[in-house]
Amino acid sequence: MSKFSWIVFKKEIIDIFRDKKTIITSIILPIVIFPIIALAMGGGMKDSFDPSIPSPIAIVGGENELTEHINSIENLEIIDTDEPEKLLEELDVHAYLVIPENFDEMIENSEIQEIEVHYDPSSQKSGLAFSKIKDVIETMKIEKTKQKLDELNIDSKILDLVPVKPVEIEKDNGGIGMMMMSMILPMLIAIYAAVGGIPAAVDLGAGEKERQTLEPLLTTNASRNALIMGKYFAVVVAGILGTIASLLGFSLASIISPEFYGQAAGLPILNVLLMGVFALLICGVFSALELLVSFYARNFKEAQTYLTPFTFIVLIPAYFTMFLDGKLIPEIYIHIPILNTISILKELLIGVINIPHILMVFGWGVVYVAIALFLVNKMIHKEKVVFRN
Amino acid sequence: MIELKELTKQFKEIKAVDSLSFNVKKGEILGLLGENGAGKTTTLRLLATMLKPTSGTAIIDGCDLVKDSNLVRSKIGILFGGETGLYDRLTAYENIAYFGELNGMSKTEIKNRIDKLAKLLDMEEYINRRVGKFSKGMKQKVAIARSIVHNPEIMFLDEPTSGLDVSAVKVVHDFIIELKKEGKTIVFSSHSMKEVEKLCERVAIIHKGKLQVQDSLINLKEKYPENDLEEIFLKKVGGNNE
Repeated sequence: MSKFSWIVFKKEIIDIFRDKKTIITSIILPIVIFPIIALAMGGGMKDSFDPSIPSPIAIVGGENELTEHINSIENLEIIDTDEPEKLLEELDVHAYLVIPENFDEMIENSEIQEIEVHYDPSSQKSGLAFSKIKDVIETMKIEKTKQKLDELNIDSKILDLVPVKPVEIEKDNGGIGMMMMSMILPMLIAIYAAVGGIPAAVDLGAGEKERQTLEPLLTTNASRNALIMGKYFAVVVAGILGTIASLLGFSLASIISPEFYGQAAGLPILNVLLMGVFALLICGVFSALELLVSFYARNFKEAQTYLTPFTFIVLIPAYFTMFLDGKLIPEIYIHIPILNTISILKELLIGVINIPHILMVFGWGVVYVAIALFLVNKMIHKEKVVFRN
Repeated sequence: MIELKELTKQFKEIKAVDSLSFNVKKGEILGLLGENGAGKTTTLRLLATMLKPTSGTAIIDGCDLVKDSNLVRSKIGILFGGETGLYDRLTAYENIAYFGELNGMSKTEIKNRIDKLAKLLDMEEYINRRVGKFSKGMKQKVAIARSIVHNPEIMFLDEPTSGLDVSAVKVVHDFIIELKKEGKTIVFSSHSMKEVEKLCERVAIIHKGKLQVQDSLINLKEKYPENDLEEIFLKKVGGNNE
């Protein structure tokens, strides 16, 4: 960085950090938004999916062995009612069973009986109650069958002649949390690295025009290239801070709701560092492009309008790769801008170090940064752009 | 000190500045007069190296405008428009110091110069406050200090009083008179005849990018004894106003 670029960079960083609007949108918001989502989703999920919370159910049919058995289960609460259907509609009970009157007798006589379980499939709570009831009936069914087989002197193992033993290739792959994280985190890093610098870019380009500070700047000893490079590095720093803030928010969210967001703590440091490098590259490209658009705009408002699509430019490939398996990245993705960075982040996140992929995406990243910087430097010399207002 | 040689600037089909040639002597204030769109701002932007001439050039303190634009920039200061163009989140000191640094001054030089300017422009009370909530007059003083922090020999002032209230206008006028006392060379554009009469020794009247007349106020009044400057201006511009 030249002497004059450094002077501009220092001034812009001070200016950015004194701008409450930028601090709120680029730093505070990303830190708090994910924990809030985690709290909201965590609360809702706990309520809907926690099997330890008793599900209210009703039973139609007299006293029998199954009713007694259900009564002894802690996570099912039997509600006494004559209108189970109505209660289910209002979800005052989450499910109800219809057990035949002479159930015990029929079981004793080995007569096959159906038990109706009424539930609302559109309700998660009702679905959970149904699963619990089904588990209870299954357990009872197995016990009863075993008893019958014992009475007939038949080994009950006959019921499970070909048992299936699931063996996972990795002992701890993080389960659903890791899957969610590999879906969300690369997208998040790419989006924040790309758009985190927008508020700063708007202020540093179009803001100079609107404040009428650009003209005096252009008559100082600093060359236009030095001015633009100082501003460019300031936008990159703002973008990186935004990315760090969003990752901090994500980390807080994964502490609040680890079962949903997963944990990245186990990632090797090399993978984390490489992820940082790729985030920096994407930030480097977008910072230059945002500055370019911002300088082209006549004023603040115009710059904000022009820069809005940038979020979608990143969102589209981000969604495209959301369900992509990190271990099966198609080769062509490595050569497509943005898509390649998200793909490599996905690989790194699940612990894959694919050297050819890393080198290629890094190479492309450097090329994109160089092109973007060339364009922004070219643009600052264009009178039509600089004096467009 | 300043000599324009057939200076021309063309934007697509429009010649904003058309073969403009005039000169400004060392230590004088030249009033650049013209209607809106006459080419005053473009001329000053060219002289301040913000725009590149389509053809022609100017020699500023011995430096060619086209070939030595970096050198030219180190010799000039600008104050463009009534809007002050300051960074609201920086203090007055920081605003001025930023431009001092960008003009290659050392930290000590900047401090000494700002101390002097703060005293001169009566800004000591608020020099370390952020400029966001300053009055127009206070902002104008900061903008003035910023434009001369590097003590340039030549100043380009483009309608520096437009949109300002009476007290802010006085600040600018006093500043220009002070510059004159210091022997600075000034090109001052305005469409206020009274302002020009008050501050300038010579005027250049331009219309549609072309020079109509360049002469001292005394000579003009001798040539047109029955008219004031406003009438002289209208006579020079009006005849070509098609």
